[in-house]
Amino acid sequence: MTRAQRALLLVANLVAAAAFAWPLIVPAVPSQAQAAAPWAALALVPIAVVLVLIALDASIRSATTLAMLGTLTAVGAAVRIAGTGVGGVEAVFVVLILAGRAFGARFGFLLGVLVIALSSIASGFGPWTPFQMVACAWVGAGAGLLPGARPRGSAPRRERGARWREVALLASYGVVASYAFGAVMNLWFWPFAVGPATSISYSPNASLGTNLGSFLSYTLVTSTLTWDTIRAVTSVVGIAVAGPAVLAALRRAKVRPESTSETPRSTSRTPESTSRTR
Amino acid sequence: MRLRSGPVRAAALLALGFILVRLVYQALFRGLDRGGRVLVDLPSHRLPDPVDHVVLLGPITTQGITTAIVSALPIAAIILAFGVLNGVVDLAAVCARASRGGPLRSVAQALVIAWATFPGLVRSVTDVRRARRLRGERGAASLLVPVMERTVERAVALGASMEVRGFASSTGHAPDASGAGTSAVELRDVTLAHDGGWTLRADLTLPRGALVLLTGPTGSGKSTLLRALSGLHTAVDGGTLAGEARVLGVDRDVAPHATAALVGVVPQHPRLSFVAETVAAEIAFASAVQGASDAEVDARVARAAQRFDLEALLGTATSHLSAGQSHLVALAAATAHAPALVLVDEPLADLDLASRTRVVTALRELAADGTTVLVAEHRVAALREVADVELVVAADDGGARVVVADPGVAEVAPASAGPLDAVAPRDPVTGDPVLRAHDVTLAVGGRVLLSEASLDVAAGEIVAVTGDVGSGKTTLLNHLALPRRGTARVGGTDVATLRRRPRLRALALVPDASDDLLFRLTVAEECARADRRAGAAVGASLARFRAFAVLPDGEGPASDVAVRHPRDLSVGQRRLLVLAVQLAATPRVLLVDEPSRGLDPVAAAAVRRALRATAEAGTAVVIATHDVAFTALADRVLALEDARLVPRAVPALESVAKVRP
Repeated sequence: MTRAQRALLLVANLVAAAAFAWPLIVPAVPSQAQAAAPWAALALVPIAVVLVLIALDASIRSATTLAMLGTLTAVGAAVRIAGTGVGGVEAVFVVLILAGRAFGARFGFLLGVLVIALSSIASGFGPWTPFQMVACAWVGAGAGLLPGARPRGSAPRRERGARWREVALLASYGVVASYAFGAVMNLWFWPFAVGPATSISYSPNASLGTNLGSFLSYTLVTSTLTWDTIRAVTSVVGIAVAGPAVLAALRRAKVRPESTSETPRSTSRTPESTSRTR
Repeated sequence: MRLRSGPVRAAALLALGFILVRLVYQALFRGLDRGGRVLVDLPSHRLPDPVDHVVLLGPITTQGITTAIVSALPIAAIILAFGVLNGVVDLAAVCARASRGGPLRSVAQALVIAWATFPGLVRSVTDVRRARRLRGERGAASLLVPVMERTVERAVALGASMEVRGFASSTGHAPDASGAGTSAVELRDVTLAHDGGWTLRADLTLPRGALVLLTGPTGSGKSTLLRALSGLHTAVDGGTLAGEARVLGVDRDVAPHATAALVGVVPQHPRLSFVAETVAAEIAFASAVQGASDAEVDARVARAAQRFDLEALLGTATSHLSAGQSHLVALAAATAHAPALVLVDEPLADLDLASRTRVVTALRELAADGTTVLVAEHRVAALREVADVELVVAADDGGARVVVADPGVAEVAPASAGPLDAVAPRDPVTGDPVLRAHDVTLAVGGRVLLSEASLDVAAGEIVAVTGDVGSGKTTLLNHLALPRRGTARVGGTDVATLRRRPRLRALALVPDASDDLLFRLTVAEECARADRRAGAAVGASLARFRAFAVLPDGEGPASDVAVRHPRDLSVGQRRLLVLAVQLAATPRVLLVDEPSRGLDPVAAAAVRRALRATAEAGTAVVIATHDVAFTALADRVLALEDARLVPRAVPALESVAKVRP
């Protein structure tokens, strides 16, 4: 990755984070701009997604990494679509977390975006689609940033203790990610969902504390107690049951994590060179 | 531009739902108290400090409801607008377009792959579900893990298939191969090796424009030689190449994608390697990633489709192709950009006679046009007549594998297959049948495979069912393993009425794709799981597996085999492991589908010994096979022909050694 791509990645993620948190940020912007804030948020996230994808696109030009990304996207989207009737995004977190852990943060991020993109191709997109992409991407990327990912190689031979410590770490992360995902998805949509005039309505003029209180009431009623909890439970169960074996399967594929655009071997050697050691 | 109504209708429902949800929130948090007539007067509750501004419930008035609905309309309109957008835009087409170039090429390509993977994924889930029923498992892990293993397998095959067609970061120019005087392939003192001591030597030159046949039994190293010539052996498989290797004058030291314009590759399992959703896009892939113009790509697709007679299939989804069709499509996809050398791995496996003829004709025509065609195949009869050169993987004086250009030399396998067996001939087993299947009628897709057939097998007897590809052997075994009521009885009990554990004790099937049954992290865990599931003694399955894997010279598997990952075992050891797992409950009947698939002679002999030992322990064994060495193992042979099971003579073991596999 070049320095420019890194910078682009960082800026795009910050923009997306700001757009998610727009209801809490608005009081800080000039009052003339406040009315435009919700629409700016809706417009900024898709732009941020495209920017991140442009920054990451060049990092997955290795054919095997790309093939892995494509096939895992299919698995994730299939899990998501299969789970539509029983509560939506639930089991897809298992795939995101395990893949992010095995192949790194950038891979996890892309997988999150692409899983949502693919299920949108299958079942339609809406103004919320880019937000879902970014939130799922963060779930995958976060799993890739957890500590202790690197004693790679002969995963099955790792002693049982290490294996279960890793599962416990990922399952705890799954719980955190499930509630955090619900919270950030509620945060940007809360003003739209509730509308004006209720006692938990978003108010640009109210204090941060009041707005936070209103938001917490909203998110508690909306998803924390229901969907987010189901999602947390599915993630823990899924990671506990299939985690070690799926991680072993992914790691055995020898996809280099964080693959760069470098090809495995130099292509610039002249055909004349005859002696070599491989 | 056409508007599809489905997405619009879905969006309308969603918009309506949004308005209703807003009404619920407003009612719950005192938002519907806006004057007008009071409809319901709910008592309101104020929450305690620090959120004392939050008030629950409260009165609901007419005007409150109208205001709430009106305030929700802008968002509802946006949702509806997105629905119309969904109805107009074809996202799949947008992705296919973006994957041909531009800043989001890789991401769009990943989506195209994902889209094309969907149907295969559904198929793997179906297969794995059946596999876990066969093992008597139910949990999520026994489904998820094999599906993920298959996904990884597809990803690796796909990555290789994209690599050899030129997919890479830099669309760098291909190495100069203009030297028309150079040979197509030039191997000087080359040794190919995998870790674990496996080696294959080759020292040969292939002229341009020849149709070259590379023979040798399964597992002898034909694929390795092909993958070495395409560059995959060193770049993807992690193998090594010592010596001097040139392909069309280019040093084989370069990455596979660098020679994509010169070398076309037809993989052994084309269905795993398809990149695109439709046949047309699949054929276009190599040309498109190598930077040909759209017009040129279209022209090449049309030409290739005409040559391989695929015009009618251009719009078909790659996932809907039959085995024969997919080989032809893979051939077209590998040759549309007119590479000078084409490498074809086992094109005739799994094909019926008509498809074989078409593939052979296509290969001959390619060579006639000046392309060098190297075909690895152990079904030599059809190809030997048309080949200009024949290469054989043979054993040299020291027993090492070497590729020689002399059809007179004995092949490496049959020489050693006989002694490896160490299975003495025995008297035919007779007795009261333990498995009785009567009036079995099977039909798939309207075609009758078997009509009112009967099969009785005695305890300790081995019955081989033979027949052409697609004749219904696999369907028959699957049907016996998970039968409908009244079709199969074991020891007088209808198998369909048995619960899980009694069924495991009555009958077990080792399916063709036997790896689908494995889902634990180590061999020991896999065996322990089987023991528990079957109610067998602790360690019984592991002991059985070790006994199966011991070679006639007493050499057993490495001592650490129990802690290895099942998929790190060789194909042969894996098959023996599945055999041990399925025998955990000591079933009275064992069914085995294609026990020799993908095995080298040594491994196949080990499987034969294991089957023989199982029969001698009193289990009735039914194998579906077209491998003569396995048929020779049987007490009785039944051929599945014209929807009937016809008794055949058992081939003698002596003749097996002479038959070329």
